[in-house]
Amino acid sequence: MTRSLYPCGQTRREFVWEMGGGFAGLALTSFLAADGFFAKHVSAAESPKKPHFPAKAKSVIFLMMNGGPSQVDTFDHKPTLEKHANQSLPADKKFINSGGRKIGFLTPSFRKFRPGGQSGLMISDFFPKVREHADSLAVIRSCHTDSHAHGSALVQMNTGKTFIGRPSLGSWAVYGLGTANKDLPGYVVLMDKRGGPISGQPNWSNGFMSSDYSGTLFRPTGDPILDLRGPLSAKAQREELDLLAKLNQEHIDARPGGKELAGRIESYELAYRMQSAAPEAVDLTKEPKKLLDLYGVGKQPTDEFGRNCVIARRLVERGVRFVQLYSGGGHLEETWDAHASIEKNHGQHAGEVDQPIAALLTDLKARGLLDSTLVVWGGEFGRMPFSEGKGEPGRNHNPYGFSMWLAGGGVKGGTAYGATDELGFEAVENKVHLHDLHATILALLGLDHEKLTYFHQGRHERLTDVYGKVVREVIA
Amino acid sequence: MTPLRFAIVLACFFTGITRADEFERTIAPVLLNHCVECHSGSSPSGGLDVTSEKGFRAGGKKKDASLVLDRVHAGEMPPPKGETPRPLPKEQQAALKKWMEAGAVWPKGRVLDWFERTIETRAGRDWWSLQPLVVPSFQSQVPSPIDQLVGSRLKDKGFEPAPEADRRSLVRRLYVDLLGFPPTFEQVEAFAKDASPDAYPKLVEKLLASPHYGERWGRHWLDIVRYAETCGYERDQVKPHVWKYRDYVVKAFNEDLPYDRFVKEQLAGDELPDRTERTAIATGFIRLGTWNDEPNDPNEYKYDRIEDMVGATSSAFLGLTVKCARCHDHKFDAIRQTDYYRMAAAFWAGYIEPGPREHLGGPDPKQIGVEIFSWTDRGRKVPPIKLLKKGDPNRPGEVVEPGHLSAIPSLDKPISPPAADAKTTGRRLALANWIVDPKNPLTARVWVNRIWQFHFGQGIVRSPDNFGFTGEKPTHPELLDWLAGELMKNNWSTKHIHRLILNSRTYRQSSLHPRQDEYAKTDAGNKLWWRFDRRRIEAEALRDSMLFVAGNLKLDRIGGPSFSPEIAPEALEGLSTKSAAWKASPPEEQGRRSLYIFSKRGLLPPQLTAFDFPDTTLPCGQRDSTTVAPQALTLMNNRFAHEQSESLAKRAMKEADEAKRIVAAWRFALARDPSKTEAKAAENHLANQRTNFANAKDSEFRALASLCHVLLNTNEFLYVD
Repeated sequence: MTRSLYPCGQTRREFVWEMGGGFAGLALTSFLAADGFFAKHVSAAESPKKPHFPAKAKSVIFLMMNGGPSQVDTFDHKPTLEKHANQSLPADKKFINSGGRKIGFLTPSFRKFRPGGQSGLMISDFFPKVREHADSLAVIRSCHTDSHAHGSALVQMNTGKTFIGRPSLGSWAVYGLGTANKDLPGYVVLMDKRGGPISGQPNWSNGFMSSDYSGTLFRPTGDPILDLRGPLSAKAQREELDLLAKLNQEHIDARPGGKELAGRIESYELAYRMQSAAPEAVDLTKEPKKLLDLYGVGKQPTDEFGRNCVIARRLVERGVRFVQLYSGGGHLEETWDAHASIEKNHGQHAGEVDQPIAALLTDLKARGLLDSTLVVWGGEFGRMPFSEGKGEPGRNHNPYGFSMWLAGGGVKGGTAYGATDELGFEAVENKVHLHDLHATILALLGLDHEKLTYFHQGRHERLTDVYGKVVREVIA
Repeated sequence: MTPLRFAIVLACFFTGITRADEFERTIAPVLLNHCVECHSGSSPSGGLDVTSEKGFRAGGKKKDASLVLDRVHAGEMPPPKGETPRPLPKEQQAALKKWMEAGAVWPKGRVLDWFERTIETRAGRDWWSLQPLVVPSFQSQVPSPIDQLVGSRLKDKGFEPAPEADRRSLVRRLYVDLLGFPPTFEQVEAFAKDASPDAYPKLVEKLLASPHYGERWGRHWLDIVRYAETCGYERDQVKPHVWKYRDYVVKAFNEDLPYDRFVKEQLAGDELPDRTERTAIATGFIRLGTWNDEPNDPNEYKYDRIEDMVGATSSAFLGLTVKCARCHDHKFDAIRQTDYYRMAAAFWAGYIEPGPREHLGGPDPKQIGVEIFSWTDRGRKVPPIKLLKKGDPNRPGEVVEPGHLSAIPSLDKPISPPAADAKTTGRRLALANWIVDPKNPLTARVWVNRIWQFHFGQGIVRSPDNFGFTGEKPTHPELLDWLAGELMKNNWSTKHIHRLILNSRTYRQSSLHPRQDEYAKTDAGNKLWWRFDRRRIEAEALRDSMLFVAGNLKLDRIGGPSFSPEIAPEALEGLSTKSAAWKASPPEEQGRRSLYIFSKRGLLPPQLTAFDFPDTTLPCGQRDSTTVAPQALTLMNNRFAHEQSESLAKRAMKEADEAKRIVAAWRFALARDPSKTEAKAAENHLANQRTNFANAKDSEFRALASLCHVLLNTNEFLYVD
């Protein structure tokens, strides 16, 4: 017997045994969701949903600078620091000395700031190529967060709370909007090859949401998803799927109305399609050489992050809702955690990402995708304006004031919003807490952070809990 | 007394009653629904306290109660919510006007209490779950009271129950339900052929007596108590010996430890007069939550830990969301902010202050003296706990004495101070005693509901961790109360409840109903229990079943330290320490039951999470059961699935010819013989796969392994009818 059967998509009609045709995942979802009991059996994450209000951004690329880049060395120009160089931070500025490290002296930026674009946004020489896109960026210079420790701060950047166990931003985005491509996961995370973020899985967790809202780790080389390929050849696998379809058919025939069984048969079809869709999405062989060069693919130090940026663009192009890219992985100097030396650490990490990020913005723009793609850049916190000892070139963690930027989908480019004090130590003007940033990201996706709720253990949970204010000033 | 004077007195008396009635009927609900929330307490809005006659007549800051009517008529009160006005409905305005014009008669001494009754937007102390049990009695125990109660509701609705499930479905259902893996072919056949009337109850007894019952049902409990073996966060430290708590739970189920005792040991195993090492291990419950060795603000973090403990305790045992009252009175239930701190005081007495990192947020292990992971108090006297205004650690308010929830007034008594020679405060024991007091209406209800849910997939109350206003109401309140009554009457025996349920006809129903299409139109959620709901087996049951049919499940390895399964290096890439963080246990460990998989918060095994193994940071009373493509990928491609298929094929390969091998594969995997068409399809499959594997020297075997792989992927393998 060589005739192919569902779920391989060839004789689909045989599968439509009771629904009167037009049976598709979408119909299944809405049909079953009509009752609370069955709703849990199907993947709600797979059906596209309408936003609360019209919005430009349809997907997000979150460039996560793991470890905490220094604001005064990148996007927060503080000429006053020059004047106060080698002085102590004024005593009235209170802070937690993370890790009990040495407290040194105020230290100006390690690289020169220059204006970029028409807007003249000041950006340092750690990011000369991103600076060329200054007119696309809305830099928020008054971010602040609640924790000085990587473990909690990363989790908070991703989930809103310092404690683990809550759904991450990507989960909320997919929960709010569904995914536009059922053959790929809606929420993809691309790790740095040096390792994942501190605290691990809780950073891309679905928390109390069902597991279909979890982030899916994509590997940039080889098979992008876990278990995407098994030991069998395509032909042998096909043979198995045909037999499986036959056996499942006989089983369901004896159990009329078995909607959960039908849903599971459908999931094999999806998985089968995913097996080809996912490798295709990360396959860069069809990308023109010129474009790969633009991203810095094929040369160091930009190859890896460049590759991830191309993949991010390809995923967004294919309807993936939320892509998060990590720059830096593991611990200390493998990340942006520049305790030892800003120049050395940021020199390395910015060197890896500056060109790829600039290329990503260029490429998205050229394809008309930048309008519908929100690009977010930042780390879990910033760094202190003072050093870790006399003549020491590193800086300690700083949750009191740091910079992040947004670009693309509905963002007002060439904007600087909020400010830290004259030393770049803490946010003082138009302060933006992470909750506000999260509310703003959701708003750019057309989601009202107060209305996007998930009922869990007696409470309508929100990404922003009871906080959050949309920063309208950065929305075009 | 002259008749006339008597008549006048009588009239006044009746008028008094009428007016008091009128107040309760028309005025009190308006005030409770719309006014009391803000106009009460120590600093009522506008200075106006509407909870008492005195307060109302004082008229607030402007000293004029008549202004109330003006503000209400103007639509200013109740105030708009955001930009949405919320004027009082016209008839309520009219009632208020009439009442005030008649002199605003307030029944003597009547004080309105925000929590006294349930209103449109929230529950009061009259909420169903807080009321005493009403245990129905039955003239006859045949049919079982469960079937009588379920049956009468079905009859009322014109429904009939599904026919009894066939023997083969029934035996599989029981095995998976009670043990977490399927029966063998021989076990199925033996049961199917046993026509004696007590074959079924005997099987129930046999399985309840199996040591694997505790492994299966203990896992349900581990979900409820947020069990994991590491702390989470950056260092994700291993909690030493915490697996002993897991073994304690398994044993408690196997020995049918009375549930009230089970509660007491977990909350206060160190405070019991007859404490042992085992009861001390049980207190590990308290500190199973995450622990951050590097909190931003160590002072604030104490309160976050308390919230975890109060949250776990109240959801596990009481089905209440007490933790919602940390910052304010509960928005939906009769739980005051002071109630939260009363309960919190029990945990406040423990090692909640920041201590040395190596103590992992608990007592000094040296002080405990034995190698266990447990909890105890800092001493018999500890500093008082203060209520935090808006939950903010920087705004401590009044001291709150340890005590119980005010929502159950009959049990609302102060906790006595510890005896002079006590080593602990005795607060947790007092809390535990209060929880298991037979007059506490929640505990037994919550537990029998969980038992019902694990048997049927859904509880009688379909929000097992939330018996409050935002939860579901019971589908069959009398049934819930009857089971709760049975639990307490039978020395809190969990196995007694199992027997009642498993021997009921309601449980033995088929998952198919001749009129299911029609019934599903009015009761798709099966809230009347008109059939048994087919269910996908859980993550652990799936892994265990695969190992079992492959002949690889090491059932004799009960208890002991956990093992680390093999995890693909790709799945380790999300860890900051990458593969250094995970070292698989030796091969001989890999066949142990999934219960014994090392539960690391930073990396839960993807094979389990793909099938809805829950997040371990919060209590989970009911798992999701999703159907998504990554599950299919796992079963189609994961190495583990192929390894088990090969083992299964090795078992079938022992048969002499192909036809027999096919039958053997079916018997091992699905515990039945293949149908003719299935056997034919299998033959074709083997032929085609032999061609596909022609280049391999063992193509015969590989083709058979492929057949086995298909069987492990079938819906029949994954679902229980």
